[in-house]
Amino acid sequence: MDKGLLAYLLIPLFSALLIPFVARNRPRLADILANVTLLAGLLNLAWFALRPSMLRGGFADIPGDGLSLLLVGTIYLVALCVTFFSAWYLDENLPNRQAYYSLILVSVAAMCGVVTTTDFFTLYVFIEVLAVTSFALITTDESKAGIEGALKYFLLTFPASALIIVGISILMLTLGSLSYENLQLFMASDIPSGPVTFAGALLMLGFLIKSGVVPFHTWTPDAYQGAYAPVSAYLAGIVTKISGVYAIIKLATLMRFFDGRAQALSEMLMFLGMLSIIAGALAALKQTNLKRMLAFSSISQIGYIVLAAGVGTPLAVMGAVFHLVNHATFKTVLFLNSASVEKATGTTDMDRLGGLEHSMPVTSWTSVIALLSTAGVPPLSGFWSKLIIILALWESGFRFYAVLALLFSIVTLAYFLMMQRKVFFGKKSQAAENSREVCAPLLAPVVLMSAVIVALGLLFPYFYSYIQIIAERIIL
Amino acid sequence: MTYHTLLFALAVCFALWAVMAKKLLTSAIMLALLSVTVSLIFFNLGAPWAGVFELSVCAGLISVLFIGAVSLIRTEDQSRPESRARFYALPLAAAIFAIAAWFYLPAFFEELAGWKRMGTGGGNIGLALWDMRRPDLLGQVLMLAAGVFVIKSVFPRKPQASRGTGVNK
Repeated sequence: MDKGLLAYLLIPLFSALLIPFVARNRPRLADILANVTLLAGLLNLAWFALRPSMLRGGFADIPGDGLSLLLVGTIYLVALCVTFFSAWYLDENLPNRQAYYSLILVSVAAMCGVVTTTDFFTLYVFIEVLAVTSFALITTDESKAGIEGALKYFLLTFPASALIIVGISILMLTLGSLSYENLQLFMASDIPSGPVTFAGALLMLGFLIKSGVVPFHTWTPDAYQGAYAPVSAYLAGIVTKISGVYAIIKLATLMRFFDGRAQALSEMLMFLGMLSIIAGALAALKQTNLKRMLAFSSISQIGYIVLAAGVGTPLAVMGAVFHLVNHATFKTVLFLNSASVEKATGTTDMDRLGGLEHSMPVTSWTSVIALLSTAGVPPLSGFWSKLIIILALWESGFRFYAVLALLFSIVTLAYFLMMQRKVFFGKKSQAAENSREVCAPLLAPVVLMSAVIVALGLLFPYFYSYIQIIAERIIL
Repeated sequence: MTYHTLLFALAVCFALWAVMAKKLLTSAIMLALLSVTVSLIFFNLGAPWAGVFELSVCAGLISVLFIGAVSLIRTEDQSRPESRARFYALPLAAAIFAIAAWFYLPAFFEELAGWKRMGTGGGNIGLALWDMRRPDLLGQVLMLAAGVFVIKSVFPRKPQASRGTGVNK
């Protein structure tokens, strides 16, 4: 485990344990404590990674593989946006308000554990903590859809845990150890890798289910649609990415997909990634509910990351890592905006919305930034990550996949423009008549995230040198 | 040897208590304690990995799930008590097992001690838990905290008026 980042795990845990005592009679203190904890952590990380000496040295002094630090920063950023938004969004009298913030902080700690560990069993323990907290967060909204989403999440992701533990057992039997390093060394050797590849396939299958990749995606739309919108933003933005997608990228690098040691597994992963891109995008085209459309869009975007992880070359891993970070930013903006729309109009049914641009200009324009980035329009951050992924596919000889990935990027733009037209542009609908822009504190997180999207796109050369270091360190 | 006997006796006690307990919550807790005892036996037999996994998975994760599920059904369970007639024979069965164990278990323990001597690289509890598996312990603490917050979040005591979307409109 990366001990340098241990504090980022321990401090949210400590705050989570403190909240029930401190905020027992003053629920607002739970909001303050959660936000202060996350803000302090984020500022600390920002100073650590972006201080002038670090920038001058081209990030060469970044400790560890650099990926853990980047992901801890992303986790804190998304969690801060969600808790800040929740503080103004949730009902004052919500009975489980303290537990809500404690659960978010525990899941932040668990995600930090996932990205800093170097051992499969510890990874499993932290992923289980995430599964339990996610289940409870989805049920925070006690509507029928929320409970249905939570139950589907439970029924599909816990068998995934069983697959992961069986895979871990086989790894233990064959390698005698569960450390990442041992697996990497084994895959670099000439020893026949049959049982280890089988264990890797079981682990991969478990992580694919947890990521919501097609055909294991059935829990995703219900869970995202049924949960509170900030919870959907949190789950779609970061939780499923860390509990599933990050683990897939990590496993792909450890199993050395780039040198063909587990070719069948690599090809399966690429196929499922492509299937997700296609199925997610086509399903998103047909949706009439805003949150459900965003959920299918999320499935499609995860496909890009999984596709790149399947290729496994350094360039593809760079693309996968960058798209994971980008997805966290733009999906958080879009889901939080859907929450603002729901709060202003009382619905997320796109057929009943329209013309919100005039009454909700900030929400509308931050949506435009996020959707253009998701579709890969330059110079926003999503353009660079998709470009890297498509270049990696082309360079590795997977030209058919590269063309399809490019084509479905255009489909992504199409369904998002349809969404924008239905919700924000055009004639004012009845639901939009009395709506007005949400308060400034609800806009602050989406404006911050939109600024991050623009900054990551415009300052891409700096970020490129950082992810290049990551790819070199985690593959070589 | 004495340590083994004590642990075995404790394991049997916890197992019996888990079966006999009137409250499901007590059963779940006793099951967790049984797992802790079994993991201590594993450690003592020089199998720290088995001990750690027993402690992490059975005493940790599964207990949290059990306690969560029991909290969900506790009220109904208490209002409809189960028939306990079949448990009356259990003390008798336990007594027969104890007498048989008195004669046969010491030899079994001797054999186990022999296997332990043959094992290599076993390590003690401190080494296995603190030096080898420290992050898992942290994971367990997180899991226990998550379990408590899940119960508080899923089963809050809420006023009727605040039901609904929960959104501050």
